[in-house]
Amino acid sequence: MIKNRNLPSGTRDEFGPRAAVKETISAQLFSIFKQRGFTKLTTPILEYADVFKPLNLDNYRPYQLLDEQGEALVLRPDLTLPVARMMSTTGVELPAKWYYGGDVFRVKKQLSGSYNQVTQAGIELVGSSSIKGELECLTIALAGCFATGVKKMTLELSDARFVEGVLEALPVPEPTKVALKQALFTKNLTTYNQISELLNETEFGDFLSEWPWLFGDFDTVMKVVKRLPKIAKVQTVIENLNAVNQFIKRLAPDQRVVLDLSIPSPQTYYTGMAFRGYTQNASDYLFSGGRYDDLLTSFQQIKEPAVGLAFDVDALADRVPLPEAPQQTLIYFEPDQWQQAEQVLKETPNSTLCLADSREEANRIAVSNNKKLLDLTKEGE
Amino acid sequence: MPIKIALTKGRVEQQVVPLLEASGIDCSGIRNKGRRLIFDEDPVYETILVKGPDVLTYLNSGSVHLGIVGSDILAEQNNTQYAMLDLGVGRCRFVLASTSDFNPQQVRRKIIATKYPNITKRYFQSIGEDVEIIRIEGSVELAPLIGLADAIVDITETGTTLRENNLHVYAELQPVSTQLVVNRLALKQYHSEIRTLVENLQQAKNNLGVNE
Repeated sequence: MIKNRNLPSGTRDEFGPRAAVKETISAQLFSIFKQRGFTKLTTPILEYADVFKPLNLDNYRPYQLLDEQGEALVLRPDLTLPVARMMSTTGVELPAKWYYGGDVFRVKKQLSGSYNQVTQAGIELVGSSSIKGELECLTIALAGCFATGVKKMTLELSDARFVEGVLEALPVPEPTKVALKQALFTKNLTTYNQISELLNETEFGDFLSEWPWLFGDFDTVMKVVKRLPKIAKVQTVIENLNAVNQFIKRLAPDQRVVLDLSIPSPQTYYTGMAFRGYTQNASDYLFSGGRYDDLLTSFQQIKEPAVGLAFDVDALADRVPLPEAPQQTLIYFEPDQWQQAEQVLKETPNSTLCLADSREEANRIAVSNNKKLLDLTKEGE
Repeated sequence: MPIKIALTKGRVEQQVVPLLEASGIDCSGIRNKGRRLIFDEDPVYETILVKGPDVLTYLNSGSVHLGIVGSDILAEQNNTQYAMLDLGVGRCRFVLASTSDFNPQQVRRKIIATKYPNITKRYFQSIGEDVEIIRIEGSVELAPLIGLADAIVDITETGTTLRENNLHVYAELQPVSTQLVVNRLALKQYHSEIRTLVENLQQAKNNLGVNE
């Protein structure tokens, strides 16, 4: 007999209502993707470790194993890079619209209560450089949240080019810029204030004192941005963000739009706008995505514009109160009644065949599992 | 919903409570705590008392929004949340210490005892040395005296314990102080409340003359 019947740390079995909720949510998202004309793409769970080199593994690492030649394989920690790998090797005509769904594996701190296997569902638009790509992603982000029962959410926009643009314009030497950026990104106020004090007397002083806090309601953040002297690069980013904000306002006027202009891009291959969604009580983002025109450059010479979005199916499922399962009907029958039983099964909602051999056994199962027994053998007696 | 703070119990708690009070948080419950661990006297901030190494566990899971903990623990646990404010208390430093006959230049793989294996590993990596690390849970000073290790990496405030055990400091590693750590998502969800607290704490730090 097998002695070790424990699960590896960070994993779990999912069954019953929880598994059903996740299945429903994935199906709802897939139906939106399909309805908008996206094509399904399924990549393997195992990939060469090299595929994920562009990934910045912040507080986790991938599960690793070796293939028969001794090359390092990983259980995929991300679903976007496999799409890029696939695009670079197959010569698919562009623009392409993919959707995917599946689990990613990230080994987090042991015994901390976090799970290492997370279900995602998302889309990739490869070959679209227009802002219409961002708008399509945001439309799907909102539609996906609404379809899975999220009524009120906060949509966060950001763009790492803003930080780069402002830093470039600051009249300080490069090492100071690097230190300031580091302090800004880690929100280390003690260090940040020490560095930004050097610029108090410049035209940037007024803005810099607010920069670590430059996130929150869209219009409030934009007011602070107005304190900046004109920087051409930053101006384009701001216009872009304004256009997207207007778009969301028209599409979903009841949702809160916030802006964060003090954070780094989620991954190094991001090149433009990034967006995420969360609810006031959640401890995880419901979705995240953005523009990553550098995505394919790790795999091929030619750069291709790309924008994408991924839903965290587990985070969406965590929000849904687990439904009370309605009482199931057990259909008990003799083997020669199989066809009749089949008919009853079709007509009775939430029913299942009872495969027990005797009426007593069927009765026992019904009582101990709190199920209703429908006995076909009694009829005509 | 109140903003939840995980406060390291013990010395950190004693040093930080005056700062929290000066920031306008009602800490009467913590001052007369008995055996309680949850304090909801303040209408905005709920404080829980936990052990230092557990602060990040609560914070990372999102069960609490803010944590107050020493930078020694943040460094050892490779913190990825925002360490926003140095509270200026609990100041001490990491040192490499050993008996007087220890030779840092000796040519062999040294054995180092410590409660902080990650910090120790990073330090020796930074000076291009590979050492064998033995993890000790407490009274680390014993290790070189008893012959378990060549030297230790530990935190010291005044150096008294080291001196009393005839240990000498051979290298200074990073400084340590108590930090306010903020969950990344909570910072967005409670922007104004957290900003108010951070600014009040900065003010309180200045008023109470906690030096940088």
